[in-house]
Amino acid sequence: MNKTTIASLAALPILLASCIAAEQPNTECDIETVSLRLETPTDFFYHDYDTLRTVISAETDIVFIIRSYANMQSVPLSLRITDGASVFIKSDDGTEVPFLNGSDVDFSEEKVHHFRVVSEDGAWSRNYTISVVHDVPSEGNLFIDFESYRLDASGKYYIWDAPEVFTDGLWKNGNPGFKISRSSAKPMEYPSTPVAGGGPDGSACLKLETCDTGPFGRMANMRLASGSMFNGIFDVGNALKDALKATQFGSPFVHKPVQMRAWLRYEPGATFQDFDGKTVSGVTDEPDAYVVLYRNEDAGGNKVQLDGNDVLSSPYIVALGRLPHHYNEDGSDRLSNNPIHGITNEWQEVTIPVEYKAEIDNDVLENKGYSLIIGFASSWGGAYFKGAIGSKLHVDNVRLFCE
Amino acid sequence: MKHIAYTIAAFLFLAVSIQIQAEDSWEKWGPTSGLKGGGFIARVGYVIGGTTPLPLPAEIRKINSFSPRGGVSVGIDGYKMLGKRWGVSAGAHFFWEGFHTSADVKNYYVWLEQEGEITKGYFTGTNITNTEMWGVSLPLLATFRMSPRWNVSFGPYLSLYFKQTFTGEVYDNDEGVGYLREDTPTGIKILMDRENPTPYPDNFADNMLPLNLGMELAFDWKAMRHMNVFGLLDWGLTNIWDRKFEAISFRMYPIYGTLGVAYRY
Repeated sequence: MNKTTIASLAALPILLASCIAAEQPNTECDIETVSLRLETPTDFFYHDYDTLRTVISAETDIVFIIRSYANMQSVPLSLRITDGASVFIKSDDGTEVPFLNGSDVDFSEEKVHHFRVVSEDGAWSRNYTISVVHDVPSEGNLFIDFESYRLDASGKYYIWDAPEVFTDGLWKNGNPGFKISRSSAKPMEYPSTPVAGGGPDGSACLKLETCDTGPFGRMANMRLASGSMFNGIFDVGNALKDALKATQFGSPFVHKPVQMRAWLRYEPGATFQDFDGKTVSGVTDEPDAYVVLYRNEDAGGNKVQLDGNDVLSSPYIVALGRLPHHYNEDGSDRLSNNPIHGITNEWQEVTIPVEYKAEIDNDVLENKGYSLIIGFASSWGGAYFKGAIGSKLHVDNVRLFCE
Repeated sequence: MKHIAYTIAAFLFLAVSIQIQAEDSWEKWGPTSGLKGGGFIARVGYVIGGTTPLPLPAEIRKINSFSPRGGVSVGIDGYKMLGKRWGVSAGAHFFWEGFHTSADVKNYYVWLEQEGEITKGYFTGTNITNTEMWGVSLPLLATFRMSPRWNVSFGPYLSLYFKQTFTGEVYDNDEGVGYLREDTPTGIKILMDRENPTPYPDNFADNMLPLNLGMELAFDWKAMRHMNVFGLLDWGLTNIWDRKFEAISFRMYPIYGTLGVAYRY
């Protein structure tokens, strides 16, 4: 063996180390989108865009809502799934057969179909249901007492039933995001919690508390989590990447809200902090409570869904009612040490009138062209991670009055 | 990866030079005090290399970039020749070495714990790693004179670290794919992007072991009466991480080469 060979051999392991190994098969098994192919979608749906559903990663029960009088039969269904994964549909007798995209699926009588997606490597699978249900007529006025709550499937935090007209019939909040940052938190240590017997009438009420998100929150520049409650979608997958987009507000609504009344009690946290976690002296935290009605389709027929960026400022907003605060002349929020909202640590019923900025098109309204948002937060700067840790907003017996 | 090309070029240069020196006398290039004498070699060199899992796990799909950090080694070896060809040496090499790398990963298992809070799951996207280490290596080598002017030495070393840093962050790759599947591949898909990258926890380096055992291979060429040109490779054989550390699911080894000049007496 000559010396050149010896020298080259010495370098060989480095070369081996830099070899990229063969790519392993995918382990994921998601349904990413679901679409129904209909010749005339609006015979069944309120919007053309309703035939395509983007499925967020936490969602496994996919429900399409159609007009109460529509009669859906067999429809070609297409699923977009993780690359390399395979999908099976379960027949009535429990056997599984491979599902081919574009196959007709019988959605009559609100039948629930079960699907199973198996990852490319065969080691993982997820079960999904897909169904088409009829719209439930709503009377308009809502009464919300936050009495119906339970632990979520993970047992980590509470979830609340919402009026049926709200998306999934559930209230949404930041609890699933808090779980990512504070895995050790007990259910009652989350930002949104129930308080049994805590309401003004002695029944359960809702407590929203601004909480410290711990070391992972600091790492992600999200140092606090405001307690929150709203209707719509909380896309926890966006909680780190773009927190404002994670809160997708509103559910289609066919009535004109005119006033919200809510029992509120508020105790601000001791020290107000800014985005960087620095103490801001002389500022007292404030709660937020609002009602919004907005147009949920743009001129091009695309879906409009307000998120944390524009929930109170979008040009699609047609009506707004909000707990009063100080504002700067340009309309931006000014955190004040002299809150004018008047909410104290004693229960009181607060009336929030809804003001209309634009004419309502009744035909559009009847066809679910507007969406309603009801939202509460323990820190009104919470979307921007500003507030006081320990601020507590208690909420109970919310009434929405409609025309 | 550039450093590999450099390393190979250096070794080839050394190997070719071997042939030219055949006619030199053993006495002229031997230890000052005779063929069985001893002496010392004071070395200064440039260190380049990386701390890497071996072989690269399948989770690593692509190395986007690599650049060295630090890169200084200063040391001294004492040696004693036992005969014309064989000898022993021992020394202390102080170093500052490290690297920065960007790699695309797929299904990379991470387990992060801070103050009792745990985040874990499978990450797909771009992973940036920076590490720097300050310390001293203590080699104990057998030396073989291949020719009058060429020595090769081989043996174990122990590295003691005075300070180590290990930082990094994760975000989306060039195709915009960046996410963590919480707990399992079927868990919540937490999106990440470079607008708001997620850094490694501050305490990562606390889980690095203060010492490492490995094997050293060194080539010395006696360029002048008292000056050597040398190339050596320190190949770490023990994991840099404490065995209790679960954030990184594979063992990593420091593999660094040094090229430099030495004063020989």
